[in-house]
Amino acid sequence: MSPELIRLIAQATADTLLMVAVAAGIGTLIGLPLGVFLATSKRGELFAAPAVNAVLGVLVNATRSTPFIILVVAIIPFTRLLAGTSIGTNAAMVPLTVAAAPFIARLIEGAIREVDQGLVEAARAMGASPLQIVRKVLVPEALPAITLGLTLAIVSLIGFSAMVGAVGGGGLGDLGIRYGYQRFMPDVMAVVVAVLIVLVQTVQSIGDRLARRLNKRLRHA
Amino acid sequence: MNALVKPDAFSVGANPVFSPEPAIRFENVGKVFSGRSGQGAVTALSGIDLTVPRGAILGVIGRSGAGKSTLIRLVNGLERASSGRILIEDEDVTALTEAGWRARRRTIGMIFQHFNLLSSRTVFDNVALPLEIAGAPRAEIERQVTRLLDLVGLSDKRERYPAELSGGQKQRVGIARALSTEPKVLLCDEATSALDPETTQSILGLLKRVNRELGITILLITHEIPVIKEICDRVAVIEGGRIVEEGETFTVFTQPKHPTTARFVETVTGVELPAHLAGRVRSEARPGDSALLRITFIGENATAPVISRLSSIVGVDVNILAGRIDAIAGQPFGSLLVSVTAHEPELAAVLGALKSLELKAEVIGHVS
Repeated sequence: MSPELIRLIAQATADTLLMVAVAAGIGTLIGLPLGVFLATSKRGELFAAPAVNAVLGVLVNATRSTPFIILVVAIIPFTRLLAGTSIGTNAAMVPLTVAAAPFIARLIEGAIREVDQGLVEAARAMGASPLQIVRKVLVPEALPAITLGLTLAIVSLIGFSAMVGAVGGGGLGDLGIRYGYQRFMPDVMAVVVAVLIVLVQTVQSIGDRLARRLNKRLRHA
Repeated sequence: MNALVKPDAFSVGANPVFSPEPAIRFENVGKVFSGRSGQGAVTALSGIDLTVPRGAILGVIGRSGAGKSTLIRLVNGLERASSGRILIEDEDVTALTEAGWRARRRTIGMIFQHFNLLSSRTVFDNVALPLEIAGAPRAEIERQVTRLLDLVGLSDKRERYPAELSGGQKQRVGIARALSTEPKVLLCDEATSALDPETTQSILGLLKRVNRELGITILLITHEIPVIKEICDRVAVIEGGRIVEEGETFTVFTQPKHPTTARFVETVTGVELPAHLAGRVRSEARPGDSALLRITFIGENATAPVISRLSSIVGVDVNILAGRIDAIAGQPFGSLLVSVTAHEPELAAVLGALKSLELKAEVIGHVS
């Protein structure tokens, strides 16, 4: 493989990592509060606002049920507005983030809902405010599950980032399509797939290890 | 009786005297849960009048669904009364706002059946949580938590996580946590129901110490009669959302008035007929039969040498079939099943002698 190709693969890998990191980062910034709110705003809950909860729920579901490749195309005007263009790595971050935020919100909602309601009751009995309950009880107790959820989200984003290549998004997917597929270079395709596998494996094992370390429910010396 | 009970086996009259001002008072309190769409409203409590004297341990006993969980949650505002008034330390809390309740709750500790400890926090940090919530400075937290872990005997576990503790140790952490803001009242929600009998004893012992040494008023709910017997000064029996009987534990146990109370205390105070006799009991006496007597010993009488006196006063052979003697709220209480001849006038003489000893006795049947 020529040095030129190796440089391309390195560049594509860096692009993918950047896109995924930005989408996961911003997605978490939006998804964490959104997920916490979704998990605590039904009738009778800490921040009871059933109507808002229902509207947000529909919005999240709408985004989640749109196939990613359709979402990418559908929000092109929004992408142009934010990135100034609809092609390239920077532009690809917009649909990735839009897809990531509701996905992460649902994962975090699930993690928060898993927390024993008895702990919420205990915290209320101590005189904790709803915000204190979120900060000191719900999020810390859900942290192992949140970590696993974010790991899943990042793995999914790596897959999505390969898809934005199809619409000129840059990154490993783009490289695979243009060189591996259109130029019949199976060696490039093989390397792209191998790098993706290594990326996913690495993310998953870091996430698993972190979640295990955070989980104090298991007895470990 | 001498063989069964030593006269000084129990200390009689150990009950403390309580201050007349109540720590908690319910005045005609009702609670209705409005049903969700399609379901009717559910009345959980109605007409609750209950006073918890300052410094006392009051136990509310009832089956599941009787309303005891709702009752205890009214005291710290986790549930709000639908009608009536609740006074805590003479302050009417019925109309408190949520913010007002948050401040109020810091003066009321609570422990739970399933402990409700944070699995992500160490023992130290669990006990520190109420202080963190109240905004206490770090030094104060360190001092207070260290003192409380010492009190509950878990100083060596301070850096452990709840998953590494036994059930009894977890409840000790729960108690330390509930006491960290130095409350005047401690609420115990089935605090020993998830523990084995031995651990239950040690937790009850700790609660009693907390009550007697720190002067903390305790309101507990339970479905386990031994818990009431062991530590409660007063008991309230709840059924169908109403308090059907309330009073000093010893009085309620020895003279239950309501059928539900009678069923509860039976398991502690009752004595069963031995199996080989149970099927042969007749209500009518035939010639040569023996009469079965149930003799109840209360308080100081429980330590009197009754059987030997019966034999010597009346000159009748008394055969002991079954018996138990126990302490209820620190006072002795016994129940004895004996058989004596059903032949008159000896039987009448025995009953007369028991009456003169101020013992309650009843003929429950006859056997050949």
